Amino acid sequence: MTSPRLGSGETKLETIISYLLIVGVVVSVILEVIGITLYYGAYGNVQVSQNQAVFISGKNFFAFIIFQTQHLLGSQNALLFMTLGLIILILTPYIRAITSVIYFAWEKHFHYVLITLFVLIVLTLSLALH
Amino acid sequence: MVTLLLISVAVGLLGSLTGLGGASILTPILVFEGFPVKEAVACGMVSIIATSSGSASSFVRERIANIKLAMYLEMFTIIGAIVGATITVLIAPVFLYFLFAAFLLTSFINIRGSFEGTYTSPAKQDRLSRWLNLEGAYHDQASNKVIKYKGTNSILGGLGMFVAGIAAGMLGIGAGAFKVIVHEKVLKIPSKVSTATSTFIIGMTALAGVSVYLFTGLLNLTLMAPMAVGVTIGAIVGGRGLNRIQDRNLKILFIVVVILLIIQMLYKGVTAL
Repeated sequence: MTSPRLGSGETKLETIISYLLIVGVVVSVILEVIGITLYYGAYGNVQVSQNQAVFISGKNFFAFIIFQTQHLLGSQNALLFMTLGLIILILTPYIRAITSVIYFAWEKHFHYVLITLFVLIVLTLSLALH
Repeated sequence: MVTLLLISVAVGLLGSLTGLGGASILTPILVFEGFPVKEAVACGMVSIIATSSGSASSFVRERIANIKLAMYLEMFTIIGAIVGATITVLIAPVFLYFLFAAFLLTSFINIRGSFEGTYTSPAKQDRLSRWLNLEGAYHDQASNKVIKYKGTNSILGGLGMFVAGIAAGMLGIGAGAFKVIVHEKVLKIPSKVSTATSTFIIGMTALAGVSVYLFTGLLNLTLMAPMAVGVTIGAIVGGRGLNRIQDRNLKILFIVVVILLIIQMLYKGVTAL
């Protein structure tokens, strides 16, 4: 569908963000579906579990990503795929914040660089400090 | 997980069409089915990132969501969400039922006033709103017109969004209803732009909430996965529908959903005593 250009000046950013959001969500959903399918293959049911193993544990989100991806290769672990889906989902708005900072810096909208940088720093601290 | 997946699809669709975000409907259902309330709240918060991003993508592409306005307001909502989620981790679960009911009740009282009337842009902008360049235009498919608008009252709007952020973080919801009210009533933004921008902001607010819940031992992967998949499918379908629904119909749907949620949560609160 085509929308008329409305002269807001942010059309390029809007296009980038639009694709970023949809790609992040689609990849995440695919990983979750693989996870659910593998879970069914391994346990023969798709019941919601209260086993301690199905709960996320860790301290720093960024260290958590590295740890999880190192275990991905050759793995058919259902929970690992679900965890990766979660990671991609969390990273989607996070990367959106990084993209916005870069875009506004490129376009020299410095008050918006400050605004988006503030959002990015707060999120980074909250994800890293536990 | 299959039943949960199907419920989540329906909820994602409804959440996206009304701008409510989805989890404010899904969380009470999960609690009703016997899941611990804090677990439902934490997983609800994750599913909201999916709902928001899925439907916001089309709102952004169709230039309905105002990105600058969203980024300014996100400063307030993320701080609120971090505060709110921290409170939820610390307090007794029973408080959450009452807070849920109270929050939904507030959103209903405020929405009645915004039912009628077409949009008129505020005559004057305050200095901060001008500095932030809070204005825009969108193509309204229902009336086939380009509608120009300006935002005002940015400081008050920011404070309103801080409160919305606290509620969102505490209850694991998007607090979309409250955010839309702040956009329409305080910032004077048209209805569709409010819903679209609110949906966009919700994702970032939810991320802030999730950053608190992530390592508290509340995130159940087998609960989160079907919720995230279901609401995303519903939200993407719903996001495609918004621009084609008349404003009036959108508001009627909005009000009906809020009424049902209030009844549900008041019942929950009373029976939890």
